[in-house]
Amino acid sequence: MNYARRISISVVLFLAVSLLPLGAQTAGTTAAKSKETAAEQPPPKGKAARADKTAIFLGLGAAPDAAASDRGAKLFSANCAFCHGAKATGGEGPDLVRSALVLHDEKADLIGPVVHNGRPDKGMPSFSSFTEAQLYDLAEFLHMRIYLAANRGTYQVQDVVTGDPKAGEAYFNGAGRCKMCHSPSGDLAHVAAKYQPADLQAAFLYPASVTGFGPTAKRHEEQVTVTLPSGQSVSGVLKRQDDFNISMVDSSGQYHSWPRNSVKVVIKDPLAGHRNLLDQYTDADMHNLLAYLVTLK
Amino acid sequence: MNIRLLSISLLLPLIPSLLPAQTLNPEKLLQPPTDTWPTYNGDYSGRRYSTLTQINSSNIGSLSLAWMHRIGVGEQRGAASEIKSTPLLVDGVLYFTIPDHLWAVNARTGEEIWHFDWVDHGGHLTGQRGVGMYGSWLYFLTPDGWFISFEAKDGKVRWKIQVADAKLQYFTTMAPLVIRDHVIVGVGGDAMDVPGYLESRDPKTGALQWRWNTEPQVGEPGAETWPNAGAMGHGGGMTWLPGTYDPELNLLYWGTGNPNPVYAGQGRKGANLWTCSIVALNPDTGKLVWYFQGSPHDTHDWDEVETPVLFDAVIKGQKRKLLAQAARNGYFFVLDRTNGKNIVSAPFVGVNWSKGVDDSGQPIPNVAKEPKTDGALMNIDGGGGTNWNPPSFNPDTGLFYVNANYGYSITYLTDTDAKPEGYGGSARTIWSQAALEALDYKTGKIRWSHFFPSKGSGRAGILTTAGKLLFSGDPSSNLIAWDPETGKILWHFGLSSPVSNGPITYTLDGKQYLVVGAGDTLYAFKLIK
Repeated sequence: MNYARRISISVVLFLAVSLLPLGAQTAGTTAAKSKETAAEQPPPKGKAARADKTAIFLGLGAAPDAAASDRGAKLFSANCAFCHGAKATGGEGPDLVRSALVLHDEKADLIGPVVHNGRPDKGMPSFSSFTEAQLYDLAEFLHMRIYLAANRGTYQVQDVVTGDPKAGEAYFNGAGRCKMCHSPSGDLAHVAAKYQPADLQAAFLYPASVTGFGPTAKRHEEQVTVTLPSGQSVSGVLKRQDDFNISMVDSSGQYHSWPRNSVKVVIKDPLAGHRNLLDQYTDADMHNLLAYLVTLK
Repeated sequence: MNIRLLSISLLLPLIPSLLPAQTLNPEKLLQPPTDTWPTYNGDYSGRRYSTLTQINSSNIGSLSLAWMHRIGVGEQRGAASEIKSTPLLVDGVLYFTIPDHLWAVNARTGEEIWHFDWVDHGGHLTGQRGVGMYGSWLYFLTPDGWFISFEAKDGKVRWKIQVADAKLQYFTTMAPLVIRDHVIVGVGGDAMDVPGYLESRDPKTGALQWRWNTEPQVGEPGAETWPNAGAMGHGGGMTWLPGTYDPELNLLYWGTGNPNPVYAGQGRKGANLWTCSIVALNPDTGKLVWYFQGSPHDTHDWDEVETPVLFDAVIKGQKRKLLAQAARNGYFFVLDRTNGKNIVSAPFVGVNWSKGVDDSGQPIPNVAKEPKTDGALMNIDGGGGTNWNPPSFNPDTGLFYVNANYGYSITYLTDTDAKPEGYGGSARTIWSQAALEALDYKTGKIRWSHFFPSKGSGRAGILTTAGKLLFSGDPSSNLIAWDPETGKILWHFGLSSPVSNGPITYTLDGKQYLVVGAGDTLYAFKLIK
């Protein structure tokens, strides 16, 4: 298949998508996802809650003892890192984070004897002076290393602010046409003081992806106008729609629902501009725009 | 046998209730599914196409609920329990599962016959795809890696064997696939960088017959696609969905999962065989016959385990033995299943993770779109263009049907170490749109698509029938019947949750049933007469 034809298929796909009625969708990061259900799990509130929930889902058991792990880290650094690497991922000696023996260990029951006796056949000396408490701390340090690798609910997105704020401002006022709806001194004033950069990044790309995103949350709602066979029309906020039925709440708070095939439906998506920009951003645009928005403290 | 007994046995076929029950005739595995649904996909082809026509496009309006069976398990580790398994139907009994649970229910009434409840010690509860059956024995896998055989008639455990180590973060979810005297068992697990494998086990004893590793050993062909033995020995490539089988070629087809660490590829430079591949194995020996790798050096979690669907069809005037797969990476692949040579590679959603395909039909990864610490914008749902949910191929229309997800996501690298671990990154979906798509196997072109007005991802399986019907679900809990030729909706029924498994159909007492799982409930439909 030649490349030009592939491109044309992609263009057709995008056109097909961009003509659709658009909807907001909330999705967590896959840090807390199941293997196959990235978008189905709402993100738990708070980092600790997310980590705990992911650990339970993955069947990782209780989180290791953090205080013991901190003590164990010092022991490891002084006694073990020379052969097993600073992060215990191996050097002259084996990787202990991926070690089957360590993964099977409970409270130093397997690690303890190896440390105490060494592995003379493989060149590992014995550390017979380690106390029971120290062996426990050392084991907890290794279990913490494993926990932090295996529990993706603990992962932290690093520094996402790498772009050029000037170029981002130019994009905001120029190619992105952001200023048509937004103002740095109006709805976006102090936005960077309220949101972490990674959330701000997701929010400007598609505001409804960040639950309860502040400055414009009300404006995420899709406005729908339904025209009945009688010619009467009702406008309100879309509540739910599928291929068969549509429901809305009008300005007085009244709920309405109709079979889809009996009425004419026009939906105005306030996020259509954001959706259309997704097809246009380069990664540099995305990084520059974020770099500009984080200046709006 | 005396004359009297002989005469009784001659009468038996006329008296269904006296038949020796709950035994699968192995011949049924080689026939189109009609009065039996004997394996995960209904037959070995993975087409999920039924020749039954009692329920058809002209009488679909009379399709009505026959019974419901609610499992009543409640939440499992904080998540709602969900039927993702495809039931087996043998001798009027349905066998279906969720993680840690297996039920036998009466296919006429939904009445529970028996229920097995396993207490796990770890493992993921991400899903359970169902059971395999050999004669009067069932095979089930638990989240923590136990392979258990049951007597189908009463759920009595025959034996259990641990086939995967949950302490190493393996888990098992797939429906064992029975091929003659082999029970094929795959594994999952990508939290802790372990290697994938596929096993064949003895149906009588569970003893290991062969194991195929999804990574080569040092010095073997394929090892050159890894930088070192350490990366290769921790390289992932799980085998977590049932494969398919061609009895004539005696080839077993299987999809393999993503390499590990999932999003952080810097410690495993190279194509990383045989992860993210479709492989053909000899089911008697486990030897690799050919492979096609859809995502070389994957860094986007593009498990390529999606069903490799087998059918024979005409390409450029020639009848060919084909294999088609709608892959999680957003490409639809059609291969010659005798040798793995690519015929079609075409995107069915956005695929900016790749720069197109090479002369062999293999996508070329776009390095600029690998996960970055400050994020890379992907024009695909963070969970991929599709997932495990079963597709269907309909020989009457020549179309391949898949529930696809369009989307945009940001993919991050969170572990920048030269030797990263675990996932090493993440993907954040920021916008998505579910669509049912009908793909032309000859070109990969989208013949028709149905974009769901509902919000949410498409996770329903698909069934097509000779009754000119396609059954699947939308994200807002409707079970829907389409005309598979045109994409026109013909019928729908509101369930309490979105369809969460692959629908099946069978004939019982002369009536055609449709059975579908949605959330915690199994629903059966038949015509009102």
